[in-house]
Amino acid sequence: MTRDEIEGLLPFYVNDTLMGEERDAVARAIAEDADLAVEVEALRAIRAKMQAEDVTAPGEFGLARLMRDVERETTIEATPPASRWQSAGLWQVAAAVLLAVALGTALLPREEQGVGYELAGVAPAFTVTFAETATEAEIRDTLLRAGLEIVEGPSALGFYGLAPLPDVATGDARAVLDGADDIVTSVEEAEDR
Amino acid sequence: MSDPLAPLIPRIAAGDRQALSELYRETETSVFKFIRSRMNDPFGAADILHDTYLDVWKGAAKFEGRSKVTTWIMGIAHRKVIDAFRKGSRTTLTDEAPDLEDDAPTPEACLAATEEAGHVRHCLETLKDEHRTAINLAFYEDMTYGEIAQVTGAPEGTIKTRVFHAKKLLMRCLSGLVQRGAVT
Repeated sequence: MTRDEIEGLLPFYVNDTLMGEERDAVARAIAEDADLAVEVEALRAIRAKMQAEDVTAPGEFGLARLMRDVERETTIEATPPASRWQSAGLWQVAAAVLLAVALGTALLPREEQGVGYELAGVAPAFTVTFAETATEAEIRDTLLRAGLEIVEGPSALGFYGLAPLPDVATGDARAVLDGADDIVTSVEEAEDR
Repeated sequence: MSDPLAPLIPRIAAGDRQALSELYRETETSVFKFIRSRMNDPFGAADILHDTYLDVWKGAAKFEGRSKVTTWIMGIAHRKVIDAFRKGSRTTLTDEAPDLEDDAPTPEACLAATEEAGHVRHCLETLKDEHRTAINLAFYEDMTYGEIAQVTGAPEGTIKTRVFHAKKLLMRCLSGLVQRGAVT
């Protein structure tokens, strides 16, 4: 093995993924060459610094967004194929109904707005808002302790819909939310809405 | 050694959203870290993460188990990042070897420079995307060169070359910080 080949394998020696003859050859070269040994030490330090880098992932918010779009995908797949709508008459009827609904919505007095989209079949048990200063990690921890997951939101006003996981009692979840008043700034139960 | 995440994939393919949630929670941080290491935009990175897991949901039935589940997901994320770069014309994707001058970095100076995480981060950002990707997967994810080849779709020899150049450039950058007095 050439010196360049040995050097190219050093990162894989450092991350401990080399096996068999390759590992033995690199280990021998390091033992015989002080410069390579120091280089290994430097690479170990670089790897340790990289692994210690703290990156805040989207967490539960990202998961809620994903589940919303998965739900949307599933709904689209379940929609009858376009061919059933290809009759000109049906399109005209559908367009007329949409127009009527749009006009009705515009002209009739508005009902109170909901919190945003809703995942079919997963109704929220609580609508909550989180403190502006709450970190994703704190929110995630609170939700895990309460046995809740985000099924709606955030709405434009920052409302989230939460539903308990299977086998989690609503009362128990509520108690955790009430106890986390530095993270959760408002809680409304579904039956109160 | 069996992949502990592998049993989740057939469940996801069968439409089990709970399995997708489990996979997301298990792997999200690594995948996001990988994406973020390649782009400086946290919102863009979050969008790519989202699209990656949507592809996992839609494509689980096609997963053949030839690689680890994380390798497969990283491969999807890798392609999404490249697509984003291409759409934004942010980088040229080439496999040219960089100019490596003879002023070899001194490992001792390099070691001193690694004391500061900021120096390591700065030097990683100076690398071209394919070099940064290779070194990130080796050091963030502790992947073998074979796994990196699977993620990036490049031959193993190419990965070894990229890692070789990435390492040289990284160490030269870190040594340079010492020589310019940024590190004492």
